[in-house]
Amino acid sequence: MAYSELIKNFDRIRDYMRQFYIYGFKSRTEYDKKSARSYDNERRRMESWLGDLMRFRQTPEGKNVFLCVDSRSIPRNPLYNAFKAKSFTDGDVTFHFYILDLLRTEALTAQQILDAFSHRYLRHFESDYQPDISTIRKKLKEYVALGILTAEKRGRELVYRRSQDAVALDGWWEALAFYAEMDPMGVIGSTLLDKLDAAPDHYRFKHHYMLHALDSQILLQLLTAMGAHRRVKLTNASLRSKAGQVEHTVYPLKIYVSTQAGRQHLLCFHYRFRRLMFFRLDYVQKVEPSNLEPLHQRYAGFHEKFRSHAWGTSTGPGHSIDHLEMTLHFDDDEPHIPRRLEREKRNGRVERIDQNTCKYIVDTYDAAELIPWLRTFIGRIEKLECSDEAVVQKFYADLEQMYSLYGGDA
Amino acid sequence: MLFSEVYGTYYQVLSKILAKAVEGDLTQEVLYDIVRTHGFEESILTIPDALKTQAWPLIGQDYSTPLEHVPTMPITTLQKRWLKALLADPRIQLFAPPMDGLEDVEPLYPADTFVYFDRYSDGDPFHDPGYIKRFRCILSAIRHKRWLRIQFTGGKGLPHYWRCIPYKLEYSPKDDKFRLISANKREALMINLARITDCWLLEPYTQEEYRPQPMKKRILILELTDDRNALERVMLHFSHLDKQTERIDDLHYKITLYYEREDETELLIRVLSFGPMLKVIFPDDFIKNLVARLEKQKKLRTQTQI
Repeated sequence: MAYSELIKNFDRIRDYMRQFYIYGFKSRTEYDKKSARSYDNERRRMESWLGDLMRFRQTPEGKNVFLCVDSRSIPRNPLYNAFKAKSFTDGDVTFHFYILDLLRTEALTAQQILDAFSHRYLRHFESDYQPDISTIRKKLKEYVALGILTAEKRGRELVYRRSQDAVALDGWWEALAFYAEMDPMGVIGSTLLDKLDAAPDHYRFKHHYMLHALDSQILLQLLTAMGAHRRVKLTNASLRSKAGQVEHTVYPLKIYVSTQAGRQHLLCFHYRFRRLMFFRLDYVQKVEPSNLEPLHQRYAGFHEKFRSHAWGTSTGPGHSIDHLEMTLHFDDDEPHIPRRLEREKRNGRVERIDQNTCKYIVDTYDAAELIPWLRTFIGRIEKLECSDEAVVQKFYADLEQMYSLYGGDA
Repeated sequence: MLFSEVYGTYYQVLSKILAKAVEGDLTQEVLYDIVRTHGFEESILTIPDALKTQAWPLIGQDYSTPLEHVPTMPITTLQKRWLKALLADPRIQLFAPPMDGLEDVEPLYPADTFVYFDRYSDGDPFHDPGYIKRFRCILSAIRHKRWLRIQFTGGKGLPHYWRCIPYKLEYSPKDDKFRLISANKREALMINLARITDCWLLEPYTQEEYRPQPMKKRILILELTDDRNALERVMLHFSHLDKQTERIDDLHYKITLYYEREDETELLIRVLSFGPMLKVIFPDDFIKNLVARLEKQKKLRTQTQI
């Protein structure tokens, strides 16, 4: 099949974009999951959509292609372009512009639409395009589902008209530019900005994980199931798992978004394991809606209970709760340290011991999850205690390794 | 359905071309110009040809079209549902968009669907009427290209005044704060919006006066040991920064990050959070600061063990 910069299926490009964006050190031969031709096509497409953001580096192993952008320097997420590259047929595009023009002033049946296509539009061309009534009906149904058209029964026939557009999009101008970047489903905002003459360039975004965009389709399917209180069948493919793709039937509850680690997780009730579980959205390959869940309120209650002892996205190795206490010593000119504790803690409490000492106390499912955060206080940790002794040992063992890294005593 | 051609770049480009055709202003030059400006880089190889050969029977050889109206598309149900969901966000009050047309629309998701579990808790007061008023004043100054006078509280609690050109509003989802990026003829100022206590719109600025200074980037070079899935965690964690990665061997990688000087302390603690998986190679002053913290920690532990 001839190369096209448009794509029929999003899954493959999602995988490539993620690898080019996150890693950026692989050469062509290392993309072993697909053929070399496939790699060349996907790389060419990305270059076409993203322009200068795609960069190259020559290494002894070959040419490395990577995707690189400082999110702070641009107003819009360029990865959204992948969603705007869906392929279509000649008939699709012709139908789109004819139908929206035709129904601007009138409401018509499918047969009247077919006739009008011939008499008003196609007679001007020597084109081979000649739709039949079943194609027209299929496209009309699709446009009704999208909400672009409405269908109303008149006698035995359906009459189609354009949907009324009472939304004053111009008044959303500045809100759209903000939420198109900061809402987890911001790609929809990006499609709305495309309808305006120009998008405002008023904002910049720091700590902006643009890669989330690639999971928007999966996220939308989950949101749809959550709204309808439906179970879903997830196909998950963790990069760390040796099992390959695994199917799970779950009830989706919440989306946990990390503003610091660049990940999004689904929190759900897992029917087989009979407990709450997290799944990383970027590892989810497929979401299929399943039956309605009559006990949805009960599972929502599970989340409320879970939240009171959660630190991040671990439900813990068992059913126990770890107790952790960290005592910090800070200098007189470091009043920001207790402020940091207050601001950054999740659950737990801060106690002031004296003018230069304070303590953070928390009961949580998995104290090991706190280790990266505890390390950010290196230089001020007077004491670390945890009911899971392995957490303390791990923390200090890593610290010893860090001393060695910089030439200190091991 | 999100992945649909109706939201696609090609349909957008064709809408613009057909609008020109309906108005009688389409020429070959205009057509190519629209494709180059609004299409993808290689769209120029496809769109003009499909129109010319009438594979897409939308434009005649004389650049006229049988369409009677400038093409527009109603907002889809998905787009409306997304807009409706935004109305429940606390930050929406900053923009006060019109709610018309969304009365009977079901939001795409309820407000508590997303849990930002590691967001800092001292974000901006988005419900405070004074904050909203100042935000809108600053936004208005940016929109209308006006000088701005702000009053803010300094480090010692005293009021300060600053006359500036407001360049951008910068938002961090981690801090949940807006900052004003501004400058005047002498110096630049970045300030948290929550510290601004009052502001006034002044006269318009000229194009010559609008000279935002590019931020000066510093380089940080790290060596990563890929243990405990560190490679993926680090790459994702720093993915919002300009960076380059090179493989040294199967276990080690060299990562070059570009950052702004004002973010150095934040970056330092982010590097620390990865423990022995990351070693700083460059620059020396960064290494010095990191080692100072390690030494301080060592002393603290020794003292508490005695």
